[in-house]
Amino acid sequence: MSDALIFQPKAGKPAPPSTLGVVGWVRGNLVSSLPNAALTLLGAYIVYAFFSAVIGWAIVDAVWEAQNRRECLDLVGRAGACWPGVKAWIPNLIYGLYPKDQVWRINAGFLVLVLWAVPLFLPWVRSKVMIGLGLVLLYPLLASYFFHGGDKGLVWGALIALGLTGFLWSWLTAIAEARREAPLLEGRRRWILLAGLYAVSLLVVSQWVLDEVQTRLWGGLFLTLVISGFGITVSLPAGILLALGRRSRMPLIAAVSTTFIELFRSVPLITVLFMFNTMLPLFLPAGVEVNRLLRAIVAVCLFSSAYMAEIVRGGLQAIPKGQYEAAAAVGLGFWQSTSLIVLPQALRIMIPSIVGSFIGLFKDTTLVSIIGLFDLLSMARAVGEDTVWLGLFIEPFFFVTMIYFVFCFSMSQYSFHLEARLGAGQRR
Amino acid sequence: MSTQAAIELIGLNKWYGAFQVLKDINLRVREGERIVVCGPSGSGKSTMIRCINQLEHHQEGDVLIHGEAFGQGPARDDAIRREIGMVFQQFNLFPHLTVLENCTFALIWVKHMPKAEAEALAMSLLERVRIPEQALKYPLQLSGGQQQRVAIARALCMSPKVMLFDEPTSALDPEMISEVLDVMIELAESGMTMIVVTHEMGFARRVADRVIFMDQGEIVEEAPPAEFFTAPRYDRTQLFLSQIL
Ligand SMILES: Nc1ncnc2c1ncn2[C@@H]1O[C@H](COP(=O)(O)OP(=O)(O)OP(=O)(O)O)[C@@H](O)[C@H]1O
Ligand SMILES: [Mg+2]
Repeated sequence: MSDALIFQPKAGKPAPPSTLGVVGWVRGNLVSSLPNAALTLLGAYIVYAFFSAVIGWAIVDAVWEAQNRRECLDLVGRAGACWPGVKAWIPNLIYGLYPKDQVWRINAGFLVLVLWAVPLFLPWVRSKVMIGLGLVLLYPLLASYFFHGGDKGLVWGALIALGLTGFLWSWLTAIAEARREAPLLEGRRRWILLAGLYAVSLLVVSQWVLDEVQTRLWGGLFLTLVISGFGITVSLPAGILLALGRRSRMPLIAAVSTTFIELFRSVPLITVLFMFNTMLPLFLPAGVEVNRLLRAIVAVCLFSSAYMAEIVRGGLQAIPKGQYEAAAAVGLGFWQSTSLIVLPQALRIMIPSIVGSFIGLFKDTTLVSIIGLFDLLSMARAVGEDTVWLGLFIEPFFFVTMIYFVFCFSMSQYSFHLEARLGAGQRR
Repeated sequence: MSTQAAIELIGLNKWYGAFQVLKDINLRVREGERIVVCGPSGSGKSTMIRCINQLEHHQEGDVLIHGEAFGQGPARDDAIRREIGMVFQQFNLFPHLTVLENCTFALIWVKHMPKAEAEALAMSLLERVRIPEQALKYPLQLSGGQQQRVAIARALCMSPKVMLFDEPTSALDPEMISEVLDVMIELAESGMTMIVVTHEMGFARRVADRVIFMDQGEIVEEAPPAEFFTAPRYDRTQLFLSQIL
């Protein structure tokens, strides 16, 4: 053994440069061979032709100032867009028929939403889960009064106050955590604080009077956001419960969940909307009037929950059985291992499909026009029916398309961002 | 030597459909005893060990942990299960939690221990398995041997009275096996009651009080390691030993 060779590992060399520069990249990827170069040229031509046509129509040749469509046509004919019509209709496209002097309420309502969500993005805030839950559960209560207003009975008043309390609590928590005063919000003091906040909120709400704006006046982007907002926030938790139900070992629960899921997945959303709009009143006792918007929201929620349930079930199936077993072996019960071990992992891999479903839902809300609600798309159609802008269809549709694009594209970009952030340390 | 058994399996029978996996298993493990279970693939070793903490449910017979039987309702069963730590072949660490969180998780959520206290305890156990410096990494950033040692620390955090190991080294590269076995040997020497399914016969010789050989769902033979390896009584055992040694 004494004369064994001694193994001397080589010192590592620096890695070769990974980028070849712009020229190298172009040569390698765009013009590596003759057919490849031809395809690149063709592709570039198509992109150029498309964008130059669109930009020419939408910007270069467009008319920006006019009193009516006739003027536009006299100026450029159909070669350029006629934006004044869209501009005149923007308030309606966004707020529907909401009274002009009340529109501030919608803006304020959404401002509250944004403010409420701010703590979720502050790095020092630790109670993000609680704040997020509060936002999802309590914001609709507060928003209901902003948007609808009118007579609030005792119960509704109490609920609105609950929403306000949630908002105040979120910000107090965020501030306290910024100043590391967390003990202020722990144990019994938290309950005293909450009770105090609620009392204040009740007082504020009792003094707060807004005119009623009936939901049939709601419309445009606002209505689209209300319906899809409900759909999105309801469908995820409901989908999770349905998916768990379908996998349950209890036959009754499994059967009910499966029936529900398959029923709603087997019919088009339009049918569900029709069903809820025309048939629901037949089942309800005479005199009970369910608001048309509410019917649409319920229909959208049920429909999207069924789809979400199958997405979630797929995600749950991807989690190895060993995870459940390890959780059980350290003494976690079913709900704990499901909510703390399995779901966080499953949701992370499901992000692309969940967001895909949200995007689909957002676009599907256009179908509510079928039952007489004026969402963004139906508002766009109304522009061309206005006598002043008669026949102006393409421009508002173009505009609305852009709005849909901005919303859907942001959602999908946010999902990439989430995926990257939640994936930290978990890439194999 | 205490009179009450730490683990007692009485007349255990289990079927998967029509196929009988466990046939009339009787096993008594005293407190502080170290048992090594071996046997060919498919002989029911995992199934038996998983019946002990009821990850698998049996159809006939009794599983007693410190004299208490499983099957008195989910809450009681969960409580009994907490006395038993388990280490799996595939580690089964929680990939979305750091090493430290993997260890403190159950302390915080099951035992409701304050976070600081839980972290101190977890760190002491990570030191015991010799990877305190990896505490803030995620499991998939560790080598297999390190992951398995984290899994051992995670199980020990709950202060179990019994530890079950189901082929803890079979998924590891040869170079990592010994680092895990060392930890297990140390644990055995500290007096922990252990049931270990393994084919590491060196480990069996060194720490086992008894070696159990299973085949086709039955316990064929059980004996102290000296006897088991030198003078197995059954031909089946002899054949098996001749294949793995
Ligand atoms: N969920 C199941 N359904 C049906 N049969 C099963 C199931 N799990 C295990 N079995 C069968 O039960 C028998 C015993 O399996 P077990 O996993 O206990 O064997 P083992 O001794 O641990 O084998 P190995 O050394 O390969 O891990 C095998 O024949 C296996 O095919
Ligand atoms: Mg096995």
